[in-house]
Amino acid sequence: MRIRRRDFLKAGAALGAVAATGMPTLNAFAAGSDQKAGGMGTEPGKWIASTCQGCTTWCPVEIFVQNGRAVKVKGNQYSKQNDGYVCPRGHMSLQQLYDPDRVKVPMKRTNPVKGRGVDPKFVPITWDEALNTVADKMMELRKNNESEKYMLLRGRYSYMRDVIYDVMTKVYGSPNNISHSSLCAEAENFGAYYTEGMWGYRDYDVSNSKYVVIWGCDPTNSNRLVPAMIKRFGDVLDTATVAVVDPRMQTTATKAQEWLPIIPGQDGALATALAHVILTEGLWSREFVGDFKDGKNLFKAGQTVDEAAFDEKETHGIVKWWNIELKDRTPDWAAKITGISKEQIIRVAKGMGKAAPHVVVWMGPGAAMHVRGGYSAMAVNALNGLLGSIDNVGGTLAGAKQAANSIPKLDKYLDEVAQKHGKMKKIDQRGTKALPSLNEGKSGGGSIANNVATAMLAKDPYDIKMAIGYMNNFTFSCTGAQRWEKAMEQLPFYVHITTNVSEMTQYADIVLPARITMFEKWAYVKQKQNRYAHVSLIQPVVEPMWDVRHDETEIPFLIAEKLKERGFSNLHECLVNEYKDPETGLPARTGEEFALYSVKYYTHPAWSEKGATMGDRINGWEDYRQRGVWNSNPYKYKSRWGGKFGKDEETDGKTTTKGTVSHKFEFYSETLKKALTGHAEKHKTDVDDILKACNYTAKGELAFVPHYEPPFRYGDEKEYPFTFIDYKSRLNREGRSQNSPWYYEFHKVDFGDESHEDMLQINPSDASKLGVKTGDMVKITTVTGSYMLKVKLWEGVRPGTVAKCYGQGHWAYGKVASKEFGKTPRGVNNNEIMPFDTERLSGANVRNGGFTGVKIEKA
Amino acid sequence: MPKYGMVIDLQKCVGCGACALACKTENNTQDRADGQTFNWADFLMKAEGKFPDAKFTVRPVLCNHCTNAPCVEACPVTPKAMFKTADGITMHSDARCIGCQNCQRACPYSTTDVEKDQAAYSVLSFNAHGGTVHPFYHDKTEVVPGCTSSGAEIAQKAGDTPPHRTLYKHPEYESVRRSGISEKCIFCEHRVKNGEKPNCVVACPASARVFGDQNDPNSEISQLLKKHKAVQLKNNKGDLLKAGEKGTQPNVYYIRSFSVRK
Repeated sequence: MRIRRRDFLKAGAALGAVAATGMPTLNAFAAGSDQKAGGMGTEPGKWIASTCQGCTTWCPVEIFVQNGRAVKVKGNQYSKQNDGYVCPRGHMSLQQLYDPDRVKVPMKRTNPVKGRGVDPKFVPITWDEALNTVADKMMELRKNNESEKYMLLRGRYSYMRDVIYDVMTKVYGSPNNISHSSLCAEAENFGAYYTEGMWGYRDYDVSNSKYVVIWGCDPTNSNRLVPAMIKRFGDVLDTATVAVVDPRMQTTATKAQEWLPIIPGQDGALATALAHVILTEGLWSREFVGDFKDGKNLFKAGQTVDEAAFDEKETHGIVKWWNIELKDRTPDWAAKITGISKEQIIRVAKGMGKAAPHVVVWMGPGAAMHVRGGYSAMAVNALNGLLGSIDNVGGTLAGAKQAANSIPKLDKYLDEVAQKHGKMKKIDQRGTKALPSLNEGKSGGGSIANNVATAMLAKDPYDIKMAIGYMNNFTFSCTGAQRWEKAMEQLPFYVHITTNVSEMTQYADIVLPARITMFEKWAYVKQKQNRYAHVSLIQPVVEPMWDVRHDETEIPFLIAEKLKERGFSNLHECLVNEYKDPETGLPARTGEEFALYSVKYYTHPAWSEKGATMGDRINGWEDYRQRGVWNSNPYKYKSRWGGKFGKDEETDGKTTTKGTVSHKFEFYSETLKKALTGHAEKHKTDVDDILKACNYTAKGELAFVPHYEPPFRYGDEKEYPFTFIDYKSRLNREGRSQNSPWYYEFHKVDFGDESHEDMLQINPSDASKLGVKTGDMVKITTVTGSYMLKVKLWEGVRPGTVAKCYGQGHWAYGKVASKEFGKTPRGVNNNEIMPFDTERLSGANVRNGGFTGVKIEKA
Repeated sequence: MPKYGMVIDLQKCVGCGACALACKTENNTQDRADGQTFNWADFLMKAEGKFPDAKFTVRPVLCNHCTNAPCVEACPVTPKAMFKTADGITMHSDARCIGCQNCQRACPYSTTDVEKDQAAYSVLSFNAHGGTVHPFYHDKTEVVPGCTSSGAEIAQKAGDTPPHRTLYKHPEYESVRRSGISEKCIFCEHRVKNGEKPNCVVACPASARVFGDQNDPNSEISQLLKKHKAVQLKNNKGDLLKAGEKGTQPNVYYIRSFSVRK
């Protein structure tokens, strides 16, 4: 192993020293318990701050280090979000750092045949050979005038992503930096953007709430803000009514006052019916929405209302929404298709209305990531508007600003090739007629990661010749995963930057071993929760276990050096010039220096005067390293009230709008109207035609309001009578904890599941019809194929649906994760069971909404 | 003298598993094998009712540190390898343990083989005579030979087994137990004696676990026991002690309900 003693010493001067061997030893200042009580106690060690990336809560943490080993994890005591606690994922991270199957050295493939179950016959190589090979391939593409055929695939990331994702790809000269973001959430963000003008996750003021509706997610378990929610939830059950909308009795539903076990995909029906009751019962927020001019409620089922009769305040289009959609969305109507009784719909709607504006409607992926989920996402979020809870005490919030620098301007580093090829069409087909992907109002504004495999196979708009992927495993993590296997088989050259030999690594030509986040890496993340935004540092707390490098910064720097040797120096110049150490002004000379200087560049505002004006005062870099986190001031309630849900900006004489077009909270989305009309004009057609191409049923004005769309399903109900529900294990560190023995030992904390198993949950009434009991094997068939699974009888799933936890089914990754490494999976991957489709308006990957029909046969 | 005990507030508990995992990182317990769980902290799950009125309860479990501890009674060694400390902790001496497993057989919350008995959990686990402790980190298999590591290599490289071993000292028990002896939760006495709470308590993100002195009327645990009707486990099948029933006088109590749904 290469010894990087000097850098580690320099960086770690205040935190922990290393011995000459490169292995850290105890430092003189290390403080543990001093074993005062009869010679008993914890031996000396040191808590060092970093950030957990086990989910997107991105918890500031502290790691206890003894003798240079990471031994325990807790929440960062300075964090204003997690109050010093982590969920189970934090503890599990130790088994990732010390995973026996981590890649130790760069590798190259010696078997040219690629395929599932085909041994790549990897052999170890030097970093020099690996990087030379990568740089040669990149130069070849530029020389052949086809640099667009280079692609960067990003999975999980830190905010150091800018370097590998944006800077390297753009300066090199490719349009193809593809983010994974659309895999898990963009339809949610669509719902928020086309109502409240925010493309991003909402924050929730649960402690001050009187009614909390958890919709299609399980925040005491997964999604985001997990420890903050766990911390508060026991008390919230005393101070608020909690209602959970989910077809499955997940953790939060188990504990809550109300469980609404909705039929998958019918979220839009329930949301519009709740809105209907809130309006007919006169329970909307007068302060936020306004009132009828004469104070008399004219919202009566089935009757249209004169728009002029209503004086609207902070919102736009309430009467239009009523007339176009809501007037017929009665609880009777909804009860028939949602599986939720009329009484429960009315009870919950009234409860929400009476608690307004202190109501949280927490929209999760289950409400949005459907084939036709864009409008149900809007409908669910619109409830927050009706109740005036947007930006209100005990309501749904945007986030405070984070003190961090943004990406430097790249223009002067873009040569002719980069300018020309960087502007070519992106491989994911975003912005084409049937894939509007309207991120922030722009046609083709967001990535459609899972469509890349389809586009690669179709070579449309062109063929991809080389890809670099990091912290991703699309061959496992994308629905219709089988397509990715085919796409990777035919990809001529793939470089995988990874910690483990994952499924996607099996298709790699070159494997570059990465430092593991949280323990070995310099990086930082931004997040918000519980009214506070944070800028949290990820730093090396132990010496890297193996000959590994920083994925997002050091490796691009090393590639830049190699490109420079080959006559293309722009990337190197850019990195050296733009990411100087903000303390000394010095440019980086090595990849490791670059990893450190670049994180200092981005986080500089957090530990300097600028940060102090926005939140915590942190006295310089060393102080920031000690604390590990900068917290903002609390988000100010009602920040966007008064017409600030959108803002017009003038650039070069052109007016663009960020947020809503009306600058108000929109029930009639002028913003979506503008976006859809723009997309239709681009393709010389009308909005009706676009919606049809996008598999929506709406026509006319319905396109611009949150409305009900019947769910789209793969597999007709006759042949595939059951509906599949995918849910996430609370022990998933996204896709990266399945090689941990603890993952299997405690799988029972995923309610309804059993430890050491990967089971299909089925309602006992259905099971008795099929003649199966817990532990029996069944063959399940969907449009993608057939799979063998053990069944678990569980009253927590609705009859007619079957649920399965996502996480298992690896055929690579490691010897714990797979049954036979490289060949046989342990369990079944939900992403093989579910077919690929896209919520086309947002570009989101479909995972929910009952889109997968299942046939079950006793095996 | 304090009388230590624990109250677990089930309304606060979300059954997440953090306590049990934090215990594993603190006490370096090995992976489940041969009918032994090695989970000093674990969970009992209970499903009741029918859809849509289904109910589910998670009950975190650990050694009950019984006042009338049958494991102590059953220990044949003199002085006893399993004994009560003055603070009420049921303590285990690694040095004196002869590995007879009488404690496992006597404890109503334990079994000698969870698989054979289909038990949900066992407070006591036994490190097999002559067995390898933490075999996971002795395994030499490399999934990609010469390129990926192995359990044995990573332990050697990190410098300990398990590689994330938390080092602590205690006169009675080791931070990793040897083969041929039993082991269980000792209320993290190495922490408690230094004014720290057990690691499962400080790690619980819901603050559902309250550890303290039942003899101090002002302690949080005493206050909670006064305020709420508490129940205690009778065995590892999930049965509870009935009102007036003493059982082994367990010192772990449960208050409130996991679900608030009527």
